[in-house]
Amino acid sequence: MSQVYDVIVVGSGITGGWAAKEFCEKGFKTLVIERGRNVEHRGSEYTDMQAPWEIQNRNLLEESLEEEDRYSNIRGKGYFKKATQQFFTDDKEHPISYPEDKPFKWVRSYQLGGRSVTWGRQVLRWGPKDFEANAKDGHGVPWPIGYDDLAPWYDYVESFIGVSANKDGLDVLPDGVFQKPWEMSAAEKVISQNLKKKYTDRHLIIGRAANITEPTQEQMELGRGKCQARSYCKRGCSFGGYFSSLSATLPAAKRTGNLDLVTDAIVYSVDYDETTGKAKGVTVIDTNTKEKRSYQARVVFLCASALASIQILLNSKSKTFPNGIANSSGTVGHYIMDHFTGVIANGDVPGVEDKYGYGRRPIATYIPNYRHEQKDGVDFIRGYGYQATAQQRSNTGTHAQKIGIGAEVKDNSNQPSNWRFLALMYGEMLPYFENHARLHPTKKDQWGIPLLHIDAELKQNERNMIKQASVDIKEILEVGGCQDIKINETPEDQHIQIGDRIHEMGGACMGDDPKVSVLNKWSQSHDVPNLFVTDGACMSSCATQNPSLTYMAITARAADYAAKLLASNTL
Amino acid sequence: MSEIKISRRVLIGSMAYLVTACALPTSEIKSIQLQKVKLDGQYFNAQQLTLLTDVAEIMIPKTNTPGATDANVIAVLDAMMLTWAGKKTKQQFNFCINQISQIAKNTFSAYYTEITLSDRRALIEQLDANSFAQTDTELSASYRKLKKIIFHIFYTSEEANPDFILVPGGYKGSLTKTELDEINKRGYLG
Repeated sequence: MSQVYDVIVVGSGITGGWAAKEFCEKGFKTLVIERGRNVEHRGSEYTDMQAPWEIQNRNLLEESLEEEDRYSNIRGKGYFKKATQQFFTDDKEHPISYPEDKPFKWVRSYQLGGRSVTWGRQVLRWGPKDFEANAKDGHGVPWPIGYDDLAPWYDYVESFIGVSANKDGLDVLPDGVFQKPWEMSAAEKVISQNLKKKYTDRHLIIGRAANITEPTQEQMELGRGKCQARSYCKRGCSFGGYFSSLSATLPAAKRTGNLDLVTDAIVYSVDYDETTGKAKGVTVIDTNTKEKRSYQARVVFLCASALASIQILLNSKSKTFPNGIANSSGTVGHYIMDHFTGVIANGDVPGVEDKYGYGRRPIATYIPNYRHEQKDGVDFIRGYGYQATAQQRSNTGTHAQKIGIGAEVKDNSNQPSNWRFLALMYGEMLPYFENHARLHPTKKDQWGIPLLHIDAELKQNERNMIKQASVDIKEILEVGGCQDIKINETPEDQHIQIGDRIHEMGGACMGDDPKVSVLNKWSQSHDVPNLFVTDGACMSSCATQNPSLTYMAITARAADYAAKLLASNTL
Repeated sequence: MSEIKISRRVLIGSMAYLVTACALPTSEIKSIQLQKVKLDGQYFNAQQLTLLTDVAEIMIPKTNTPGATDANVIAVLDAMMLTWAGKKTKQQFNFCINQISQIAKNTFSAYYTEITLSDRRALIEQLDANSFAQTDTELSASYRKLKKIIFHIFYTSEEANPDFILVPGGYKGSLTKTELDEINKRGYLG
């Protein structure tokens, strides 16, 4: 394997896969470095073809995990089961650091494909107001790009990954290149129609899924087929029905012949050449042998995930950059954000008792942010949306955890019950400089890399949002026609873990001013021209929409720019 | 050497029970309607398996649909004791089995496996009621844990999910019951 490349891409997840595909397709010899193990698409680690009775331990995790305090950050989460365990990282083996009173949740997937194997697949464009927010209210670093800069790249990405969605015509959530949308359930249609009668700004729409419903020729050539509505996406998909690096971008990169792939190698540092003022490559540690080795390239793309890229930047110390490469501004690691929830609401939907659902739709419904403008006298800025669903009737359940045994109990179990609508608030966290990640001064991991210490919390603006979101969703459910409405609001004095939504962002923000930002409008380091960061770290604000589509668009745009510079030898 | 044995047993458990779910070899004591398990399992002995099989069937009896025995619930549980259960659960289940035996002795002056089905049913029903009425005892916690896993294994079994479709082929959200039944019968959206 050659040790000198045109491009090194660090990470093989959702952005790493895109960077690899773009550079390989443009003819550049590209090396992708993944810290985790190799995983074959449709290989033995996929459990999507197992029926419930075929999954080991009936999908229960070994109790020894709790006894040994393994996977402590995700044990108990609905997505973490025996069938998906292999795609999540044990935080006991890979510890992080945080203040005792502010536990941070960093959910990781150390394998080829990264978290693209298990992501939520809700692909929502950001709207113009989302990019304007920082400049408008003065929080964080103003975005150096707007919606119009990214719009063609959204088109480009959506065309490749396949997005099943409805053209809703909403300014706050621009439409894109869509395949046939998923159907709303009878109950969801009732609520959506009722909201239309009352509101002009609050809409219940079908989610926008990276699950293909009308495969294109290109998708079929990559071996991808129509989503079969199994909703086993987090187990891997043998049909290639949802987009992941394993099903789409890495195969596209491989078929060019320009891709080299190294797994089980942790990037220790980006190596800086004091003479040229550029990055000359990376040094990695073999996870098995713990030996160091280096690779060289003309361009380095960090796509390791927001926090991992920050860790690499901070750990890449040199004479010019004693506090980490590309950190002349001193802002690397700052403005850590995530979405947050603090309100869960549900209610019965009457009037559709004679209707039933079939199949397991792979996406929820969505109520986009309607509070970009500070109105109605609210005491916060930015806003929130809701991820919501009533895709199936609820059922009567079993008596597994309540009194009752015998024939009558059994025959009344799991019978169709009412339609019940569930809504979960997703709020926009402001970019606070003091919410930051830094290298721990003494603690190191088993490879000798300093642990990342993450110190981040919600503040009063977010707490005020929760209160208003609670009021709003009650009204929305009432207007929607729901009954027996129940609202669960997180108390103000209860810590809400940042990272819990697995949308951590920031830490190497884009901006026009090199004094206060790390990256320019191309996600290119202000300090080191051949170093790009295009994962969640580059985000200057977090909006309310699921961010992966925007990461992908930013990556494709940055790769196109870097490729032009490479081709003209100006990098 | 013992590690190799355990590994083989786990493998056998995974392959034979968790995948194909073989039935436990039993003979029926007709006078008291009890299925007596003939051989020791991988974790539980034959006496324990007899009691557990009976308790599970009382909890989830065969009606016009399969019951716990049809779904091989205890055979699967026996295997999962090696592949899933932690130390505390093992202690709880052993404790629960012993307590049920002791209650039978104290109440009926006989072993659990010697009393009539109606008495066994009454015993477990009472234990169920007490366990959910007073939750702070060791027996309550142990019983509720045992009940929870028995129900979990049953309701994730093939027998309890005759309409389960691994590959639905699509989603419909507003079907009549007739339309739904037709699709389920066909086994694919089509």
